[in-house]
Amino acid sequence: MIFQAVLSGIVMGCVYALIALSLVIIYKSTDVVNFAAGEFVMIAAYAGLLLLDHLSLNYALMVVLSVGLVFVLGAFFERTALNHIIGFRYAAEAALVPMVVATIGLSFMLKGAVRVIPATEEVLRLPPLFSGPPLFFGDLILQRQDLGIVGVAILVMVLLSVGFNLTATGKALRATSQNPRAAALIGIPVKRMRMMAWAVASGLAGISGILLGPKLLMTPDMGSVVMMGIAASIVGGFTSLIGCVVGGIVLGVVQNLVGIFISPQAIAVTPFFIIMVVLVVRPNGLFGEAMRLKKV
Amino acid sequence: MLDHAPNAKTEEMHQEETLIRMRAKIAAALAVLAAVTVQAWPGVSRAAEPGVTDAEITIGMFAPLSGPLVAYGVDPLAASRMLYEEANKAGGINGRKVKILVEDDKCNPNDLVAVVKKFVTVDNVFMLHGGSCTAALSAAIDYINREKVPYAMLNAAGDNAVFPPTKYVFGSFQGTQRSYAAAFAQFAAQHLKAKRAAVIVHDDDYGKANAAMAKATFDKLGVATVAIERIPPNISDVTAPLLKIREAKPDVILSGAYPAPAVLIAQKYGEFGMTNIPLLQSAQGIPTPSVFAKNVANPAALENFFYTWAFSDIGDPAVRTKYVDMFKAYNNGREPGPFMMSGLPSAMAVIEGLKMAGRDLTREGFVQAMEKLSLKTDAMPGLLEFGPNRRDAARTMVIIKYDGKSQKVMPGTYTWDGIEAN
Amino acid sequence: MYAELRASELAGLLLIIAAGLALPQILPGYFLYTGNSLMTYAILAIGLDLLLGWSGQFAFAHIAFFGIGIYGTALLESRAEVPFLLSVAISAAVAGLVGIAIGFPAARLRTVYLALATYAFAECAQWVFRTWDPVTGGPDGLRFRPPVIFGYETGSDQSSFPVVALILALAIGAALYLTKSKLGRQMCAIRDSEHVATASGIDVRRTKVIAFAISAVFAGIAGGVYTLFQTFVNADVLGVSQLVTVLTMVVIGGSGSIIGVLLGVVVIGLLPELLRAMPQSLLVWQEFIYGSILVLAIVFMPQGLWGLIKPRFIRRTGGCGRTPAQSIRAPAEASQ
Repeated sequence: MIFQAVLSGIVMGCVYALIALSLVIIYKSTDVVNFAAGEFVMIAAYAGLLLLDHLSLNYALMVVLSVGLVFVLGAFFERTALNHIIGFRYAAEAALVPMVVATIGLSFMLKGAVRVIPATEEVLRLPPLFSGPPLFFGDLILQRQDLGIVGVAILVMVLLSVGFNLTATGKALRATSQNPRAAALIGIPVKRMRMMAWAVASGLAGISGILLGPKLLMTPDMGSVVMMGIAASIVGGFTSLIGCVVGGIVLGVVQNLVGIFISPQAIAVTPFFIIMVVLVVRPNGLFGEAMRLKKV
Repeated sequence: MLDHAPNAKTEEMHQEETLIRMRAKIAAALAVLAAVTVQAWPGVSRAAEPGVTDAEITIGMFAPLSGPLVAYGVDPLAASRMLYEEANKAGGINGRKVKILVEDDKCNPNDLVAVVKKFVTVDNVFMLHGGSCTAALSAAIDYINREKVPYAMLNAAGDNAVFPPTKYVFGSFQGTQRSYAAAFAQFAAQHLKAKRAAVIVHDDDYGKANAAMAKATFDKLGVATVAIERIPPNISDVTAPLLKIREAKPDVILSGAYPAPAVLIAQKYGEFGMTNIPLLQSAQGIPTPSVFAKNVANPAALENFFYTWAFSDIGDPAVRTKYVDMFKAYNNGREPGPFMMSGLPSAMAVIEGLKMAGRDLTREGFVQAMEKLSLKTDAMPGLLEFGPNRRDAARTMVIIKYDGKSQKVMPGTYTWDGIEAN
Repeated sequence: MYAELRASELAGLLLIIAAGLALPQILPGYFLYTGNSLMTYAILAIGLDLLLGWSGQFAFAHIAFFGIGIYGTALLESRAEVPFLLSVAISAAVAGLVGIAIGFPAARLRTVYLALATYAFAECAQWVFRTWDPVTGGPDGLRFRPPVIFGYETGSDQSSFPVVALILALAIGAALYLTKSKLGRQMCAIRDSEHVATASGIDVRRTKVIAFAISAVFAGIAGGVYTLFQTFVNADVLGVSQLVTVLTMVVIGGSGSIIGVLLGVVVIGLLPELLRAMPQSLLVWQEFIYGSILVLAIVFMPQGLWGLIKPRFIRRTGGCGRTPAQSIRAPAEASQ
């Protein structure tokens, strides 16, 4: 029984990890926590269902269009709303409160817009990418979609790590977050970097939506899974990409073990309890960098 | 900033201060004068009975018309309204037409109380009719009883607001959570001959009532409750509770889950090969059976699947057609969503109560009439009944077997006999 | 040590008390109920602003202290027959102690991490309220009787309105004293720059912890006020959406200024009531409209409403100079 719980926990953990990766990209580049990340996941899932069911597109095209939609949505939001708030400042820190409130407002807008459509009052489900009979390893059961989720999570993490550390754009993004004024001085287009970070992170949330739509079931409130992503990224260290995946897996497994050994009722509070404990005891999480001192 | 010569600044400040001080004193004095004066005015005389004129009865209706629970509010409210309109078309009730005012309670206690107070103190309605969420409407119960305004719930289960019963609150027109739990517990014991039962519910007020009543019914019928799992309503992975249930080796599994977790439970139950154990799901998790089956996406999981239902429309398609057509006629041809039927019984009961109260209509008279209600309708398998100490109208359910393609009503009806749970 | 109130401020407080006595005579219950709710939100919002606007601590635990205030007051009154004023005092003190307890670890955290940790604390508190059956009634919630204060019966909106107004006036008065005092200046200094504050000899950690405690006490008092005109509480009113509501009141009104916060309470508090007037078929758009207003307001008025209006009314700044809201628009002037 424990092994099944652990296995399912690892799969759910990768789900959380994908969302955590989206959050961390934005944080690494702009210091903002995107409270609307869950809603981007939700929009991509609903868009995908619309394209599949009503326009009968094939799966691959649906993925490209849905992910593309939230990619553009994220970039647009950053370019208009957030850019306006941050003004001509380089660092986001003083404008943090309005920016976070803006993301909260965005999440209401997206949820509200989706809820207006009568079809969304039923729980819906996006058909999975990987379907077919489940796989059996001895006593343990694994759905093919689950395996796909794990695979994609690891793949994305690897690609992002490579991107952030080895490509010029990635390094530029990191520079922008570490010291925006200096980055601007050496010619990095700070505004464009921020928009790109949001676009990539949103696209990533979109991919999560396509993978999670089948697993989490679709309601306008499915975005609440963002809290799990936040917990996962904190456990892993809010600035580390590997940390997201490890943190997600740790969170998923712990949740299931708590469900078995304490009670499923405690599952709801586990991520929050973990966030509190980690931030108090070891704020850097497992892999995070020591917190940088911002210039005064 | 602004640099004035220091002395000039102090002068200005001083004069400003004195002026403001004077103004403040005058304002305060005026306010106190106003308070005293207004207190002396005679009160406005009230109409004989609020909300009742020679030609009209005003009813204040409310439900969640926005927010996460909008699906549970919009159609049921529309269904109630349509019954009032039908009554108006047939000549009204004792010569009066029903006038409906509508507000959105968002299933939120603070909003619901605001809406109720607006209806009572500003719109002067005769009675209140609304509420889809028990927790939200519980916040208004004391006020409603204090102001002595008759109140009929819309489609809320209402357990906490009708037990203990209070004079002015009439509820549970599609059954309490207690009735749902008792019904499927009875079915499990009597029809499925189960000896070991597992229960999975949410950790909210509905789940608490569900679990308690299921266990009490099982205790009475000699069935062992081998597992009770409480899960949060927004759970995303039901592996842990289902593993624990599997460990406990039950003969039957009862689920009180909401729509999304109900699908997850059915899926995992299928995945873990537990389908030889009958799974009973309470109605709140199955708004539309065909959508449920599509979401579960595993026909094997539904081989042994049953759900409770409080209405007669599945057993008698003519009933369904009647009300769907009526709904479309009043709503621009729009097809009703899954919860439409739940809006019918409360309006039926209110209309009957108003008729019984007679032409000389008062709030007290209406309450007395409702206490005597014993109404058989084509929409419900049982009676809608109240009594001097009873405020939950419906206690009878039917059980439907659903295999993903067709629905079959199981023989018999299951009525909660009013036993208490602890 | 503590500065005096200006005449205009004193007048404002008297006006609130006078309105508290006068309005129940002329307005129907619904308006008084709305007024009572707004006044409760005002106490909450001022408490949050002391932490967020004046001390610069982006902390979200506020709603948990509100819950402690409500449950504490209700339980002490109904189970232990403790009179209202004492119940509120005890509950607010408990809230303050919890505030101190989380203040210590919170003092070490910066911005985003502080926000997340305190938000997590609020969620944990809500879970406790929801599952601790024997004490809080669990998911069924708690029904309580309105208190009788020195023979004066509260409970109806008419009778509790003057009491709520009085408590609000006292709360605003306390906040005014605080912000003009040495402690208030220390809080501002920390907000503007912790390094400079430490260099000036301020014990940053102690000040932060005190700010947390005071903010928690305000929330606890707001909880006590809630029991005057409501009769039921359960964990549903103590969650994220309430927290977001109070936060938006502070931010959209104008953080770092008491008038700004009060303005925000009125605007954001009345917004749902105004949206209620929409035609029924459009009601489902409320959520979207609310979110849009939020985004537009914060994008075009990051200083809040008061930040927009203030330069036209008042030339003198109060407290310790610029509010953090003003920092957003004018960083270049920081060195002046």
